[in-house]
Amino acid sequence: MISRIPKTLIFAALLLTHISTFSQEKKDCATDCSCIISGVIMDASTHEPVPYATVQIKNSEKGVLTDEAGKFLFNKLCEKEFDIFISHLGYKSVIHHHDIYHPDLVVKLAPSDVILESIVIEGSSIETGLESMTESKISGKDLESMQNESLGDVLSNITGVSTLKTGQNVVKPMIHGLHGSRVLIINNGVRHEGQGWGQEHAPEIDAAMADNIALVKGAASVKYGPDAMGGVIIINPPKMELSTGHLHGAAGITTATNGRSINTDLLLQQGYKNFAWMGQVAGLYQGDLSAPDHILTNTGARELSYMFGSRYHHKKLDLTILYSHVEQTLGILRGSVVGNLNDLDIALKAKEPFFTESFSYDINNPRQEVSHDLVRLKGHYNFKDHQLNFQYGFQANTRQEFDVRRGSNNERPAIDLELFTHTFDLDWQHAQISGWNGTVGTQWLYQDNNNIPGTNTIPFVPNYNNNRFGIYIIESKALGSLDFELGLRYDYQSSSIRGRDTENDIYKQDLNYQSITGLVGVNAQLGKNTSFRSNFGTAWRPPNIAELYSYGKHEFTIDFGLWRHSTDEFGTPISSTDVLDQNQKPVDNELGFKWVNTFNHTTKEQSLEVTAHFNYLKGYIYSKPAGIAATVRGPFPFYIYDQTDAVFFGLDASYIYRHSTIWESQIKGSYLHARDVNNDDFFIGIPPNRISYELSHSKSLLGLDEFSAAFETSYTFEQFNSPRVITVAEINDAQLNGENLFQQDRSNFDFLPAPSGYLLMNLKLQGIVNQFVFGVEFKNILNYSYRDYTNRLRYFADETGFNMLISARYKF
Amino acid sequence: MTILKSNFLALLLLASAVFMTACSDDDAPEAENEEEVINEVTLTFTPVAGGTPLAFTYNDPDGDGTLTAEQDDIMLSANTIYSLAITLKNTVGGNNENITEEVKNEGIEHQIFFGWTGALFSSPTGLGNIGAGNQVNTLNYQDEDANGLPIGLATVWETATPTIGTFRILLKHQPDIKSASSSSEDGETDVDLQWNIEIK
Repeated sequence: MISRIPKTLIFAALLLTHISTFSQEKKDCATDCSCIISGVIMDASTHEPVPYATVQIKNSEKGVLTDEAGKFLFNKLCEKEFDIFISHLGYKSVIHHHDIYHPDLVVKLAPSDVILESIVIEGSSIETGLESMTESKISGKDLESMQNESLGDVLSNITGVSTLKTGQNVVKPMIHGLHGSRVLIINNGVRHEGQGWGQEHAPEIDAAMADNIALVKGAASVKYGPDAMGGVIIINPPKMELSTGHLHGAAGITTATNGRSINTDLLLQQGYKNFAWMGQVAGLYQGDLSAPDHILTNTGARELSYMFGSRYHHKKLDLTILYSHVEQTLGILRGSVVGNLNDLDIALKAKEPFFTESFSYDINNPRQEVSHDLVRLKGHYNFKDHQLNFQYGFQANTRQEFDVRRGSNNERPAIDLELFTHTFDLDWQHAQISGWNGTVGTQWLYQDNNNIPGTNTIPFVPNYNNNRFGIYIIESKALGSLDFELGLRYDYQSSSIRGRDTENDIYKQDLNYQSITGLVGVNAQLGKNTSFRSNFGTAWRPPNIAELYSYGKHEFTIDFGLWRHSTDEFGTPISSTDVLDQNQKPVDNELGFKWVNTFNHTTKEQSLEVTAHFNYLKGYIYSKPAGIAATVRGPFPFYIYDQTDAVFFGLDASYIYRHSTIWESQIKGSYLHARDVNNDDFFIGIPPNRISYELSHSKSLLGLDEFSAAFETSYTFEQFNSPRVITVAEINDAQLNGENLFQQDRSNFDFLPAPSGYLLMNLKLQGIVNQFVFGVEFKNILNYSYRDYTNRLRYFADETGFNMLISARYKF
Repeated sequence: MTILKSNFLALLLLASAVFMTACSDDDAPEAENEEEVINEVTLTFTPVAGGTPLAFTYNDPDGDGTLTAEQDDIMLSANTIYSLAITLKNTVGGNNENITEEVKNEGIEHQIFFGWTGALFSSPTGLGNIGAGNQVNTLNYQDEDANGLPIGLATVWETATPTIGTFRILLKHQPDIKSASSSSEDGETDVDLQWNIEIK
């Protein structure tokens, strides 16, 4: 570790030299009336440029028309900010409060005959450092039609994204096969911190609160810090626009037949000259879901979330404050609880899950009750051509997990945790220096995790405090049609850990982790319609709390964390009652090296996007089978956390063909291959390959302003690259004969083979009249019974069957 | 709006308060009374006609850990009537938690099933009540729950002539599903142990 310190110093020195060059500042453009603003106006539906649109600066005589390419330019301006008014016949006009600090203004004008709102995209700060990264976005109409879906399910509409589920309510997004601590979520601008260490812990976020969700497929650690090995999910709240003129908002309701659920949401916002506010609330009430042949007992859910924000704008200063709250009660299939291997075997062979009862809204054990609160204060200050951004976020997260237990313990959570996180971000977007644009920033995170007493079981994870500091620089420069991007970051984390071992004795440890990450990228514009992006980035994360300290039975396996197991004199893995430490057993950071290449070709008729990705993970932490432990409940396979090296590579592709202004076809596909290169083995739970085809139709019809229909069919392949299968009977036989199944071969195994491939069909209809949007959606039209390889409850139950959703939305 | 703003302020204050207190903490989780684990099971056979009780114990010193458990072999006299009392404990680490009472109090959710090989007993006859459909086989249960259904912490056994075999006890947790027709294949397993047994 000591050998790394000089590198840090060099880095700091580099930063200082860099900052000192700012002293040679340019003159303020307002003093000599040389301020410039430019932008491009596009059609929001076709993404084609809109020529001859009128762009005016309000309260002035200045006005221009866009050129053939939809571009406009104002120069010789004496002010740095103003309201601009954009209009064109056949489009909804837009007023936008703009300043010179956002150089790349893009306005997507909505045709006046559709409900779509016009969208203004400022070259906003969130995108710096991601210019060469592949980004996908879900927004507007697409997001609105998924109001009752979990964040993970919403994201799985993007190629390369899949889900790791525990039943239907607990859904974790997976990017290119990585999830949990390897996918970073930026929620409302703040690193989302929750109990993400468990496979059965979904992010405590309500997708209904988002205005748009962006997904970055590259390793974006330089910008955001540790954990961004698979990618970053950026969830943005509705933007608080100034000068909206009147109260804006939307109210929606969705009901679904499967689960007999109701989902409602309301958004209100208004912007004045230098003040804006917004408020929104959403709720979900869901009963037991059903598979084609049986009810999924205890899969109800409740969700309540709300958010308030206000924005103050004064010349150079812009301040926003935001508060959001999410609370969820999530039922988990009752039939997924098993006591030992024989129970599991009986459950595997059963036609329907145990404890299956008739439909109910009740949520009993097992269930999770989680909440997440966020207060965020954010501001930016513009001076000369620089911008200073600062942000403070406070997050409070609680998690209670109720298991099926004996007696009054049934009323007590088996896991009861609270987590408080403070984050400070400060960054400086500097003015252009000899063609270089960039940002220098720092982040500080302080975290406090506590077990709440009263669970009547030894805490599964210890109490801990994390202190993390990071500093980074990202610079980009244009050379002809190429944009280059470079970045470097240093992070240091110290943790204090206090837990209880199996004998209720206290263990305490202090851990330090640090790492340097970097990125190199290029964004090439190859002609008018074609672009190519290539990005190579490194990422890191320290081992998480469960990977280090897990001990004992969890569902139907026994897990021992990296510091809770060792080997006996014969090299056989055994559990360790003493908690090991960094000296006895060094555990290094997990390091990721991800290379993402995206080719995009878009014309009026068609769009093609192909992304090839390759990720090498050094010190990849996973749990592998190590033996059979005899317990009072009978024999159990036990798993140990270990580190290996892994490669994940694959291809995402999407192709859209616009047959006419009415008909459109879309083909999407993703391929992924993952391998443990040290042991030449496959991992469990790698998402299978998938292809889908969608045909959509959009037209004004039957007195509706717009009528659209989309038919989607998707095929998910069987995961052929899955580990060997060892059945419960084989484990029991070996145990009876005194054989050790894992002595010779410690490769991964699964109790069942991966489920076979399946074909699903969905149909979505939508009609728009004035300010109303009505929708009907049919999911799994054929009511097909199937099991999903990346659903952890696939041993016990089928996925949900036919579902009809009816929705109505009013916008004003 | 002012109310909203003062809420934000209150939350910020709360945030900073938590932050201040959090900075100095190095507390370990409070000691929990471990009520989940059963690691010691004792079978006490007492001759009904009088005599010394015989206790046979299974003990897994580290619970879910990989240490091998110690298990006595059961040795009983031939042609003798025994009452059998089963006790369940958690003794991992410094614990000494008796879980027997808990199971008894929760009798309507628990049942112990028994299975054995060969002709070990003259009463009950058969091979026990483990397995789907076998719940109807008669055993000499001496205890019952609030609904009049057997629990199995107290039973009576009459040994046959000398022989050897195995004796299995299976404790099932059957919340809301224990009934006259529920079998050893319903619910979750809390204890599943097989003992070597010799009738001398």
